[in-house]
Amino acid sequence: MQVYQPPLRDMRFVLHELHGSDTLKDMKGLSEITPDLIDAVLEEAAKLVTEVLAPLNASGDTEGCTYENGVVRTPKGFKDAYRTYVEGGWNGIACDPEWGGQGLPASVTKLIEEMMCSANLAFGLYPGLTHGAYVALSHHAPQELKARFLPKMVEGTWSGTMCLTEPHCGTDLGLLRTRAEPQPDGSYAITGNKIFISAGEHDLTENIVHLVLARLPDAPKGIKGISLFLVPKFLPGPDGRPGMRNGVMCTGIEHKMGIHGSSTCQMSFDGATGWLVGEPHKGMRAMFSMMNSERLSVGTQGLGVGEAAYQSAVAYARERLQGRALSGAKHPDLPADPIIVHPDVRRTLMTMRAYNEGCRALAGWVSRNLDLMERSEDPEERRTAEDFTALMTPIVKALFTDLGFLNASLGMQVYGGHGYIRDHGMEQYVRDARIAMIYEGTNGIQALDLVGRKLPAHTGRYLRAFFHPVLDFIDAHLDHEVVGPLVGPLGKAFGALQLATGFIAEKGLRDPDEAGAAATEYLRLFGVVALGYMWARMAKVAAEKRVEPGADTAFYDAKIATARFYMDRLLPEAAALWGAIKAGKSSMMALDPAQF
Amino acid sequence: MSENGQAGKPAKTRDIRKVAVIGAGVMGAGIAAQVANAGIETLLLDIVPEGADDRSAIAKGAIAKLEKAEPAAFMAKRNARLVVPGNIEDDLEKLAACDWIIEAVVERLDVKQALYARIDAARAPGTPVSSNTSTIPLGDLTRGLPDGFRRDFLITHFFNPPRYMRLLEVVAGPETDPASLARVSAFADLKLGKTVVPCKDTPGFIANRLGTYWLQAAVIEALDLGLSVEEADAVMGRPFGFPKTGVFGLLDLVGLDLMPHVQGSLKRALPADDPFHAVLRDVPLIEEMIRTGYTGRKGKGGFYRLNRADGGKVKEAIDLSSGAYRTEEKAALPEGAEKDLAALIGAPVPMGRYAWRVLGRTLAYAARLVPEAADDIVAIDEAMRLGYNWKWGPFELIDRIGAAALIARLKQDGADIPPLLALAESQPFYRVADGTRQYLGVDGVYRDIVRPEGVLLLADIKLKTAPVLKNGSAALWDIGDGVLCLEFTSKGNSLDDGIIGLLGKALKLVKEKHKALVIYNEGTNFSVGANLGLALFACNIAAFGEVEKLVSTGQKVYQDLKYAPFPVVAAPAGMALGGGCELLLHSSAVQAHAESYIGLVECGVGLIPGWGGCKEMLTRWQAEPSMPKGPMPAPSKVFETVSVATVSKSAAEAKDLLFLRAGDGITMNRDRLLADAKARALAMVEAYAPPKPVDLTLPGPSGKTAMVMAAEGFHRRGVATKHDLVVADALATVLSGGKADHIEPVTEAQILELERESFMRLIRTHATLARIEHTLETGRPLRN
Repeated sequence: MQVYQPPLRDMRFVLHELHGSDTLKDMKGLSEITPDLIDAVLEEAAKLVTEVLAPLNASGDTEGCTYENGVVRTPKGFKDAYRTYVEGGWNGIACDPEWGGQGLPASVTKLIEEMMCSANLAFGLYPGLTHGAYVALSHHAPQELKARFLPKMVEGTWSGTMCLTEPHCGTDLGLLRTRAEPQPDGSYAITGNKIFISAGEHDLTENIVHLVLARLPDAPKGIKGISLFLVPKFLPGPDGRPGMRNGVMCTGIEHKMGIHGSSTCQMSFDGATGWLVGEPHKGMRAMFSMMNSERLSVGTQGLGVGEAAYQSAVAYARERLQGRALSGAKHPDLPADPIIVHPDVRRTLMTMRAYNEGCRALAGWVSRNLDLMERSEDPEERRTAEDFTALMTPIVKALFTDLGFLNASLGMQVYGGHGYIRDHGMEQYVRDARIAMIYEGTNGIQALDLVGRKLPAHTGRYLRAFFHPVLDFIDAHLDHEVVGPLVGPLGKAFGALQLATGFIAEKGLRDPDEAGAAATEYLRLFGVVALGYMWARMAKVAAEKRVEPGADTAFYDAKIATARFYMDRLLPEAAALWGAIKAGKSSMMALDPAQF
Repeated sequence: MSENGQAGKPAKTRDIRKVAVIGAGVMGAGIAAQVANAGIETLLLDIVPEGADDRSAIAKGAIAKLEKAEPAAFMAKRNARLVVPGNIEDDLEKLAACDWIIEAVVERLDVKQALYARIDAARAPGTPVSSNTSTIPLGDLTRGLPDGFRRDFLITHFFNPPRYMRLLEVVAGPETDPASLARVSAFADLKLGKTVVPCKDTPGFIANRLGTYWLQAAVIEALDLGLSVEEADAVMGRPFGFPKTGVFGLLDLVGLDLMPHVQGSLKRALPADDPFHAVLRDVPLIEEMIRTGYTGRKGKGGFYRLNRADGGKVKEAIDLSSGAYRTEEKAALPEGAEKDLAALIGAPVPMGRYAWRVLGRTLAYAARLVPEAADDIVAIDEAMRLGYNWKWGPFELIDRIGAAALIARLKQDGADIPPLLALAESQPFYRVADGTRQYLGVDGVYRDIVRPEGVLLLADIKLKTAPVLKNGSAALWDIGDGVLCLEFTSKGNSLDDGIIGLLGKALKLVKEKHKALVIYNEGTNFSVGANLGLALFACNIAAFGEVEKLVSTGQKVYQDLKYAPFPVVAAPAGMALGGGCELLLHSSAVQAHAESYIGLVECGVGLIPGWGGCKEMLTRWQAEPSMPKGPMPAPSKVFETVSVATVSKSAAEAKDLLFLRAGDGITMNRDRLLADAKARALAMVEAYAPPKPVDLTLPGPSGKTAMVMAAEGFHRRGVATKHDLVVADALATVLSGGKADHIEPVTEAQILELERESFMRLIRTHATLARIEHTLETGRPLRN
């Protein structure tokens, strides 16, 4: 059975104890944000996801979306759930109060996002896309467009999409063909076909706002000739309400492996009216502010599914009676011991737990930097936060989704054959988690982004935002009673990461294929070191907190034990990754294409 | 051998001990300054201004202007005293004591000829007289003058500014005495550092004739093709190795008003069938710009300007069709044409057509100039490289593009193919045979390029031999007679572990098998210092251990260099900064090109000299006899120089700053530097003994306080920034000897340790890292 309760205790640990939520109130616009308020919001969100969203997860998957004559229907219950969600004001929690949002910090909203992904990933995509479009518009659209569209999108009565992919171009958007013809009234007529458009058409909102990449008539070839347009499904009338139907149609939906409750549409634009967002030919820049936000969100999807799979696996491992513990029966009164007594089941559960909690901590660190880059009063602090976020975005996206899929698969493994059949919902997690490794830039592209763009930027300046705090922490805790034994292995793995970084910077400069060959392993190495650092820091906090009067020692001891497990059993992967990286590209590129 | 240790000096130059320059305009004054830079007294004469109290006011004013010139005309301030002002009414008889008389008066034949008659009367018989004319043929200048004058007369055409431009076009007439020619040429070569290019007596000689043709073609084709100035400059600049300003930017730099002048004289002088006339055309826009004072950078603006209206700073460019200024827009080259000349010329877009129309005809015109204006292609290429700062001469460009392709396209356009170009259809203009570079003669025969005596080039040695040792950043060459030469090959000759490593190996190798080591290269700059990009990247990934290792390895190798049992002569030209300067400081001797810009600039990027620079400077100033006694003067002096990143503006000035020793040599001609350095090294071999380590007496904490207080004073006055104080504190710690008190002598090892500690402390600060990043990205210092 799919079992999910939002891990509020761990979330509070990450937010308050690890990353110091009490300092959020010092940032611009957050003076009201206290730990108590945050806890109340998280608890309300937990109610929403458990009572409204989670019950629709399996049924939404079974039923899926349906398409008929240009109309898409979402699975039963989605519409009501969406109304509850919007009426609760959840759609605008992360948005600017100027447009009707609540202006909560990312440190908080990212946790709510995780809960939604755990409870019902397919459902979460609809508001997720709206938020991405909101980000792009609020950064790049002219004031007049913002005033017309943002309040509705923040409210949730209108939703958003991002229309990038075309049948012949996905990763390489330079090949894009959709055209935009300037009209006498200053608008543009958009014509072309888009595919794989999430939430492109559905029945949850009264209007849909598409952000469409297209070429102007005088556009230069390639990626530098792409502009961004806002194309609504219904053109707003003078009263601001949806008016005339625009020339945009959904011509079909995809039949997919997972996320069945999310409509993935083929869209046809036929002279549809649109408005330019940002400067001509600078559409990629505008789209990237949306894409960066989306990439972090996709990372959260990996974590969300991984957490749900973990909780379901723990429940099953506790109750499934099979065989006896190798060291002798633990429950002689029962016909067999629960499978949680077995080391290999423990290995599986600990792995899932260590990755999930590590990722949550890392996500919290990134979220804090998202807040700092928007809201810090100190320009240097803002810039460091921007550097850090730029650096960590591809890592969060690829690492979290790789681990999310791994954890979904491990969760299924705990169930054995019962995980593979539909009845328990474990195979849904596997199917749902798989897409996150692909969309918003495949994980291979994330790795290239890391080694090709983020690593060399400003002679490695982005790296400083990560490497310096980690080295400082290691140096400061070598003799720490609890953390000392953990920073030993962390220091080794960190050394491997330094060597790998230097290796790629040097080799990649001379031969880009060398950087490309190292990219995926390098991103993974970076990720496992980052998680290692998070675990060392969590262990330190736990060691301090567990001795306070009335402390929840079971929780803190579990933290420290999981930290040790991470260093003992998962972090050693770093040495192997460095070994693979330094081998270089030669064997990888040895075969002639004809030899495959 | 002179005090400066120049090798292979022909005897004939010795007798030019005093020079006269008549005409104290920009060129005449500049020439006089360069003669003074050679340590030679120069008489600078001009007319007596009407109604003046001071009859030599013009020459005196010119000298005053020279002293303030930017870039500096004098290599040392004291050189101004070598220029003696006068006027042609009262001082003409002083010409009798001069060994070379240079005329640089207004470009009017009647004025010049009248002056020549007076010069002839005043000079000692046999004294060479030359004109700096750029437009008047020698035959016209000497017409009607006595035979004796004609025998001693020649044209020496300098380029502006005379100190910095290495080209000297020399024209001898049929009657010119070869001895006078040789005497002046040798002096110009050895003493003034010029590359003498023999030209025939044709209008505009070589560089201005071809250069003006090129500029004019570039202007009219841009107009005809409707290109913007940015597009034209993007094409007609860096891709072909032309100055990166491009043509319009270059015209702004030299002044738009100069163009019609040179063009006019060429138009009058060139025969009617010369292709030059085809590119001549009145350009109303340019005429209007000149008329209204938009003559370029010296005027109100030119094709580009910086619009400071409303307190802003907007880079603007002129619209060639409307003449209105608009915001400058960077132009991108056609895709794939950035590094491929043939692709650029062939690109079927306006910029590609522009590239062809200008380049095709310019290169064809160059081919017509041999044998008309010069005997061989080598002279033409040299003139364009040194006179117009082309990276490649026209014939080198043709080799890069391919003469066959050029001919085919010219034929397609229906253009004439000059015979010399036709000759190259199936063979290159330059080739290497048996390790020697050869050029194609007008008779179709290849001839060796022969270097003058006393010129030794690594570029030539490389054609003949393989390096003794080599890595990605440096190479070691055997330059004969038991001398090895270490060459830097990294980008900007920046110092990295590859160079330090190879230097270490070179020291071992010389000790085993050779007599001496020369450190020299033929880059624009000797070395811009340590590779900051590598250091910054290492710091960004917190690899501080690696950085510290590089510091300590560099210290060790530089110490090994200093105490090597054989002479090490460093031979810098251009910039020798930071670690490059520290290398000079540790060498047994230095033979520097006169245009050497030397300094310890680490403080500019928030660091301090870490490879023994502080130590060596302290040692030098402590040993300086003119310094007051006591532990404080030397550190104060070094602090004064290093804390503000002082860079010498010449080798002569480097001696004043003690970056060079009084006895270090200076070579005026860049091409003679290696031979001079080698000769100096060999001369030292026999009696060589390495220096003895010297302990220093330093003032300790109280001395540090004094230096820090000085820096704080600057900070209060707003001259020093907050981080400057942090850097100054670290520098003062080293220079004062740390905790040493002035009774205990401080060893070299102790100072090196202080340098290392302070360096590592600074490089961990964010402000220093921000400075390094900013300097790498913008080339300018960050004042944080």
